[in-house]
Amino acid sequence: MRRRVLLVFAISVVLLACVYQMRTASADEWQPISPDELKMTSVPEAPGAPAVILYRQVDRDDSARTGNQYNYVRIKILTEDGRKYGDVEIPFFREQGTIHGLKARTIRPDGTIANFEGKAFDKTIVKAKGLKYLAKTFTLPDVQVGSIIEYHYTYDLQEGLIFDSHWILSDELFTKHAKFSLKAYPEFMLRWSWPAGLPAGTPPPKDEHGVIRMETQNVPAFQIEDYMPPENELKMRVDFTYSEHDVEREPDKFWKNEGKKLNGRVESFISKRKALEQVVAQAVSPNDAPEEKLRKLYARAQQVRNTSFEMEKTEQEQKREKEKEINNVEDLLKQGRGNARQINWFFVGLARATGFEANSVYISSRRQYFFKPAMMNASQLTGDVVVVKLNGKDFYCDPGSKFAPLGLMPWEETFVKGLRLDKDGGAWVDTSLPQSSDSKIERKADLKLNEEDGSLSGKLTITFSGLEALSRRNDWRDEDETARKKFLEDQVREYIPVGIDVELTNKPEWNVASPTLVAVYDLKVPGWASAAGHRALLPVGLFSATEKQLFEHTNRVHPLYFEFPFEKDDEVTIQLPLGWQVSSVPKDLNQDAKAALYVRKVQDDKGTLHLTRILRSQLLMVDTKFYPALRAFFQNVRTGDEEQIIVQPMAARAAN
Amino acid sequence: MKNRSLCNRWRHARLTEVTTASAWITVLCVLALAWPGRSAAADAPAWMHALVNASVPSHDEKTDAVEMYSERIVTVQSADKIKTLVREAYKIIRPGGRDLGTVAIPFDMATRITNLHAWCIPAQGKDYEVKEKDGAEVAMPAVQGSELITDVRVKVLHIPAADPGNLIGYEYEQEDHPFVLQDIWYFQGSHPARESRYTLQLPAGWEYKASWLNHSEVAPARAGNNQWQWVVNGAPAIKNELEMPPHRGVAGQMIVSFMPAGGSLGTTFVSWREMGRWYTALTRGRREASPEIRLKVTALTTPAATPLAKMQALARFVQRDVRYVAIELGIGGYQPHPAVDVFTHRYGDCKDKVTLMASMLKEIGIESFYVVINSERGAVTPEMPAHMGGFDHAILAIQLPVGLKDTSLVALMEHSKLGTLLFFDPTDEWTPFGRLSGPLQANYGLLVTPDGGELVELPKLAPSLNGILRTAKLTLTPSGTLAGEIKEVRMGDRASSQRYALKSVTKDTDKIKPIESLLAQSLASYRVTKASIGNLDQTELPFLFDYSLVADNYAKPAGNLLLVRPRVVGLKSSDLLETKEPRQFPVVFDGPSRDMDVFEITMPPGYEVDDLPQPVSAEFGFASYHSKAEVNGNVLRYARTFEVKEPSVPLAKMDDLKKLYRIIANDERNTAVLKATVPASAKN
Repeated sequence: MRRRVLLVFAISVVLLACVYQMRTASADEWQPISPDELKMTSVPEAPGAPAVILYRQVDRDDSARTGNQYNYVRIKILTEDGRKYGDVEIPFFREQGTIHGLKARTIRPDGTIANFEGKAFDKTIVKAKGLKYLAKTFTLPDVQVGSIIEYHYTYDLQEGLIFDSHWILSDELFTKHAKFSLKAYPEFMLRWSWPAGLPAGTPPPKDEHGVIRMETQNVPAFQIEDYMPPENELKMRVDFTYSEHDVEREPDKFWKNEGKKLNGRVESFISKRKALEQVVAQAVSPNDAPEEKLRKLYARAQQVRNTSFEMEKTEQEQKREKEKEINNVEDLLKQGRGNARQINWFFVGLARATGFEANSVYISSRRQYFFKPAMMNASQLTGDVVVVKLNGKDFYCDPGSKFAPLGLMPWEETFVKGLRLDKDGGAWVDTSLPQSSDSKIERKADLKLNEEDGSLSGKLTITFSGLEALSRRNDWRDEDETARKKFLEDQVREYIPVGIDVELTNKPEWNVASPTLVAVYDLKVPGWASAAGHRALLPVGLFSATEKQLFEHTNRVHPLYFEFPFEKDDEVTIQLPLGWQVSSVPKDLNQDAKAALYVRKVQDDKGTLHLTRILRSQLLMVDTKFYPALRAFFQNVRTGDEEQIIVQPMAARAAN
Repeated sequence: MKNRSLCNRWRHARLTEVTTASAWITVLCVLALAWPGRSAAADAPAWMHALVNASVPSHDEKTDAVEMYSERIVTVQSADKIKTLVREAYKIIRPGGRDLGTVAIPFDMATRITNLHAWCIPAQGKDYEVKEKDGAEVAMPAVQGSELITDVRVKVLHIPAADPGNLIGYEYEQEDHPFVLQDIWYFQGSHPARESRYTLQLPAGWEYKASWLNHSEVAPARAGNNQWQWVVNGAPAIKNELEMPPHRGVAGQMIVSFMPAGGSLGTTFVSWREMGRWYTALTRGRREASPEIRLKVTALTTPAATPLAKMQALARFVQRDVRYVAIELGIGGYQPHPAVDVFTHRYGDCKDKVTLMASMLKEIGIESFYVVINSERGAVTPEMPAHMGGFDHAILAIQLPVGLKDTSLVALMEHSKLGTLLFFDPTDEWTPFGRLSGPLQANYGLLVTPDGGELVELPKLAPSLNGILRTAKLTLTPSGTLAGEIKEVRMGDRASSQRYALKSVTKDTDKIKPIESLLAQSLASYRVTKASIGNLDQTELPFLFDYSLVADNYAKPAGNLLLVRPRVVGLKSSDLLETKEPRQFPVVFDGPSRDMDVFEITMPPGYEVDDLPQPVSAEFGFASYHSKAEVNGNVLRYARTFEVKEPSVPLAKMDDLKKLYRIIANDERNTAVLKATVPASAKN
């Protein structure tokens, strides 16, 4: 038997998107249908579901030279909306395999059968050089509420190819019963894991003489919610990984090996010590304090043209620029450019040449999943930062992030596990998490109340700091001044709960690695004060719109996940019209829920109102059981924001 | 792209639905990222180089790119073969213009694309070229409500260096085997255009008829033997605005029909009547009933006592039991499947459903007619010449039996020859028999009759048929807690949208979410203590919401005062017109509507009203708003009515609409002041 080629990455990603896959059975074999399945009108575990998967079977056979996967799906239609599952699309790559033996049918509620007798249409989803991505598309006949639809087919892999399997258990529909099997290719090593757990009561996959099997029942439907952790973290699945060579099964040893390999690359890149020492000699003075030295080295590293922050170029543009490969710090200095990782390594080299203890740390972003070393998946270590020992403490930074000032890293690199590399393979560390006070939106407004129309007008200054500044700079780095101006003005529109006139009047510094981003505006808020007879009422929460419809629903399925701790500090001064006085101001509020804080104060200073609002969140992940408390907290925030100040002309007050 | 389908149902999709359009965008974005495209250094053609030093059309600072040149050379070779050469070039002005570097050319089985090339002339350096083989073909991903199976695909090319300051362009040839001998030249798009050319070459003896829309007529120059050329310079950009009429209805365009020598060799029409005849021919025989259809009609209509009840039974069947599935290949974009197939499979698209409904109605002796229409009002206007390009939907006009009258039948039109016609949309499962959804009201459709066809205006329904009547009986405590019950009666599209939203709810516990979202717009804190839904599936009845709530701290204490907002829930105001730029186009509403709120708040003992908001009465021709807060005993009563009378507001009345929205916004924020009759200190 000829050896089969292992295609691990690209294909497995696509097959994740495929509906369900595949066994070696070409016969028209249908599972028996019970009277209960026919009569079923709802499923107690999934009340209100439009449809449920009654049965699903995936049998993969990689043992032969040509692999195949048999797939069987049976769905019960419970509502009119559920009839949409009668339309089926099964995507596949023409170059990697073919689908055959497709059979489909509809079983009406009375048990009679309507077979799918048409021809499935091969829809070309993408066709390009060397690539044809198709979808077998068909629709089942006579799909009504109460019907059962089912289909099965076999996916034959291209001869000689093999790729990783993924049993995705969490589906948009509730699954009553599912069976999976994988007959492994004997010449490769196979590992498997279930990173998001298994459905309650499901025994883990079992190796039965070379066939891995699993059976599960009552898998909840997967639901999408705002502020949920990455889907990959929540969707239950079993991931299989083939490896061509004998791989280490012990995580510690596995990572030592990986760490040594990665460290070798870093050391090779920064091995030109002389070049580094020359740079250091120009960048720092021996008399500088350690922190100052580090700051200067960091600035020097960021002077290098960062190609990771440039627009992606076509192959032809790259060819034309004839940019040489950067293999070490000498190349980097000569070319004056490097990608984010190379700039980080350069910084490691500079720090070491200055006498600091510095290491590269390979990390996994928490944008897509939460990295678990036990899974032994080295391809998940996609990012890197630098750790430097400063005054005896570990100090994390990322000079390769173009707009990150010293000490600040993009949120997805914070609070993640990383492999701190050294010659022995390294050790696991956790990157730091900034405090809420490190990432602020400070809004200072100096406004006047117009007695004619109740509008507020004046100056507004917003200072974004920390991650609030960094994320904006990163997101808008490829845009021009006009787009950025509109963006900053739209931000104010998002903050204020009524229609406003706003004009940015300064030129914020976008292209620097500064801790802050400052925007200054002319602001007019029409009709902010509302009339109530001879009084006028001013709501306290001028910048309250963002919290207005936060967590509006009572029910919550998933934990809440926030990108980073933050703080919003508002200082608003409102000068009342001449001769007006304040009749009543709301009492001060101070709601301290430890991980979240809301402070609101209103002071009357002889015709001038001073409004202070602080909203602070140190939250990152909140368990579902704390959702009601969090929701109540934000309801209190909204209540506080809605409170009103009563003002009136002095003449009217005298008349009271 | 020409519209080759009558059932682009995704246009009907409500906001919550992922549309095909967004799926297309996703695919193109993914391709742009994942398929950088190989390119070779080659000079751009002379027509592009001629543009390098050409003056750029005037534009504002927000313009991403300007169209420097567009050309469409149409060569009619025969009644079933047309070749078109297309050239377009853009100067990228701002980073947002980079998107133009991803060129997407749609085609299908009848329109082959050849010789696709694209170039970039950078401000500095050599030209770039990409060819067809460097690109990709992309099909439409399956999205609910769109075509499941279609032959429409897109050729995608990624032009290198589509950066500000650079000139990009492309050209291709298209060979078309047309179903209709017509072409539409859109010379006004979303970028300011410098020069647009259209060249027509007809075979000897052929003639053409050109009609101009949204632009004054331009005379052609005779460019050769039976060849004409039109040139438009300086067409301004159409900037997208919210609630604007469809692009097709406002863009400058020329619709040109080609007429073969010596009569009708191919498919051509210069009048709605001729177009109707064409469609009649296309649908001939499709409405024939099978024995199974007849049996079903008998089963459905036998229990019904009256002709109206029989029609309603058939309508329910076609709306509910025939699943929407669009399979459109070739002429299948226009031509319905036979009623027999639609019935057997129990699925079909809009024209299929219309066909089956017509077939079934015929079996009970009722005649009906296709109405070809656009799902967006304003895409087809009475000024337009007969053409297929403006339509994307099909409904039915039912000839009511003489003397049949019923209050439920309101989507009516009196036709001089056909008598009373009732319009009915079998695809819209949420709008009951007798009614019409807002976007179809006052819309123009081609009524296909045995004599041919005519463009007719569909009826505009009374505002009272579409709206929300919200009544609340609530009690306020001295601490400011508001509690009580709110009832909502929703009619027309207001009911449809709610039914639609609830249709996609996948868990019983989530059915409360629409109520929570509504409350969250207006209340800082609330608990829904009880909720029920009425008439969810009975579309012929109003949709009902009945819920009880507790809103802590609703009223805000201020010394011995309590501040209460009489308008408890529901927002009618809009910041649609709170923009810096002046409005370019009319505002289009979904349809006429009337919403009413009546909130009664029982005041806490020991309080009386000290100040009430002033009543509001705003009357404009297109809409009105009235509100009043008053006290009856210990009850604070707030009532308001917002009525939209016209389906759209013309540009000339934009200030009035802005004023109206501001009046509503102010009223919605107004506060009543309650005063303790016994001071707090005295209570102690």
